[in-house]
Amino acid sequence: MAINPAPGMGVRGPNIASADVQLPAVRDYEQVDREISATLGFTKKWFLGLAIAVFFMLVGASAWTYQIYWGLGQAGYEPPVMWGVYIITFVFWVGIGHAGTLISAILYLFRAGFRTSIYRAAEAMTVFAVMTAGLFPIIHIGRPWKFFWLIPYPNWRLLWPNFKSPLVWDVFAISTYLTISTTFLFIGLIPDIAVLRDKETNPTRKRILGILSLGWRNSDREWRHFAKAYLFLAAFSTPLVLSVHSVVSFDFAMALTPGWHASIFPPYFVAGAIFSGFAMVWTIVIPMRKWFKLEHYITLNHLDATAKVVLFTSMVVGCAYMIEFFVAWYSGIRAEQEFFWNRVFGQWYWAAWIMLLCNMVLPMSLWSQKLRRNPTWLFILSIFINLGMWYERFVIVVPSLSHEFEPWQWGSYTPSWIDMSFLVGSFGWFFMWFLLFVKQLPVMAIAELKEIIAPRAKYAHAHHGVDTAGHHGAYDPHTPGEHD
Amino acid sequence: MQGVLGAFHELDTTVAVIKELKQKKLGDVTVYSPTIRHEIDDAIDAPVSVVRRFTLVGGLLGVSFGYWIAIWSSTYWPLVTGGKAIASWIPYTIIGFEVMVLVGALSTVAGMFINSRIPRLHTTTGYDARFSGAYFGVFIACSPDKAPQAEEMLRRHGAQEVRREH
Repeated sequence: MAINPAPGMGVRGPNIASADVQLPAVRDYEQVDREISATLGFTKKWFLGLAIAVFFMLVGASAWTYQIYWGLGQAGYEPPVMWGVYIITFVFWVGIGHAGTLISAILYLFRAGFRTSIYRAAEAMTVFAVMTAGLFPIIHIGRPWKFFWLIPYPNWRLLWPNFKSPLVWDVFAISTYLTISTTFLFIGLIPDIAVLRDKETNPTRKRILGILSLGWRNSDREWRHFAKAYLFLAAFSTPLVLSVHSVVSFDFAMALTPGWHASIFPPYFVAGAIFSGFAMVWTIVIPMRKWFKLEHYITLNHLDATAKVVLFTSMVVGCAYMIEFFVAWYSGIRAEQEFFWNRVFGQWYWAAWIMLLCNMVLPMSLWSQKLRRNPTWLFILSIFINLGMWYERFVIVVPSLSHEFEPWQWGSYTPSWIDMSFLVGSFGWFFMWFLLFVKQLPVMAIAELKEIIAPRAKYAHAHHGVDTAGHHGAYDPHTPGEHD
Repeated sequence: MQGVLGAFHELDTTVAVIKELKQKKLGDVTVYSPTIRHEIDDAIDAPVSVVRRFTLVGGLLGVSFGYWIAIWSSTYWPLVTGGKAIASWIPYTIIGFEVMVLVGALSTVAGMFINSRIPRLHTTTGYDARFSGAYFGVFIACSPDKAPQAEEMLRRHGAQEVRREH
């Protein structure tokens, strides 16, 4: 669509609907195969990145070994603050995972065109983020070899977990989420692994890819059942993703602690999760599109569309922050009012202001279309949002526990080097898996990219019932924003 | 299985040959495509996938099991806390929901595998590596006496390559 700037106005990018984001610089199926397969080649930069990630992962692993040997007392817990960096980081990583499912499942159901180029990376991000998150409750229990006690299984003591406990809900929610996210990722990968299998010349690698592709042949029977299964998996994942962070929020909201016992927590947590997850998608995808030369697959229009989601969720999160203060004031409960005053002006004021700045103020820059279409700014903003969202969880966990009802109970909390090593190690663990993924499997969905570009036609689609423009109708390849 | 295989580079010619093959009824037709194309679905006019039944049954079994395990284990070791109900359906809805999603989704995948006949250990007759790339394939399972007619039809519609498969 051509853009006609209004008189007196500068030239603006297209304010396109997200369903119309297309790939005019991608001409045919061969190009998709060639360019996406090319991302799998190993490079020095990749090895360097992997070495850094493994180093940080080992820092975390060493800290865990140390903690197992010396006990949980090595963490910075100090009564009454018995939840600290571990639970904060658990909630942070669960939240990161949510954007992946939103992009891959919810936007699939809504037929949002901009998801196609980014959903594979986001889905992989989800799996690795949930894998990271799942470690923290196990670390937090101190004796990790006992974690299976949380799982209901027949045992000689005839004991069962308490199904009324939010911590047991967590076990069900997170394990279901990890299983379904992994399944969803793998099912989507099957046709793409078949592409790699058919192009592979190394017999050993071809055999491995043949096993992983399950003998997929691209037949009409396979595609028919695949499409239906994918639709239902998306339909299951959609309420699942909303339930998971709601359940995580119940860990707090079911307690009577000031700042926690609020019915707004489930939607507030879900919006925050999507917000932080999209920021992590930028952190991953913006360097990836540059290093892998994929700017014509992840265009400025794609980034613009994601920026609108971030802007919206930032406002939802900001609104939730404000409502928390309002409810504390309106409740007339002295302890709540004191607590919220303390949150922004008390002991942990700096954490609250970092949170408000990063999550409410800086994202408002996305009202500017120019900044929404500036990858450098989006990357910088994503780092601030990641920081802000970690601090949001810090603000939820630590000030509440350190400032409960009775003044004599009030205390403090300082993370130990063990806590911080786990935090750093979690990033190393996450990026290690992601870097391994991007060099072994296609980082973009080859089959779905082919679905949205024009198929080759002999008779230019006249009277043959063929939609040569892909899914979204006629499109002007000169639309601004399709190239940097 | 024996038959004739045609490789097409264009979607419209593939669709045209599928339609004619359906009319002539030379044999069962299998179409290979690098991606899902609604034009091919329309031309084949295949029945709706039965995967949905696996989803429904799996979901119902899952939700039943989720509620059952929570209620049964509570009544098996009854521990009254604060006068609350021993089997409390509101928190158990969370367990029921999560297990419904888990079993329902895994049943969906099982349904897809069973109906698609995967995992498949051997490359089957009629497949060509180009069909995952940029080519469309049409395989007609037919006896040798009908093969010349099928070959002629595939060539007339512009197949880049036609070959017999045994």
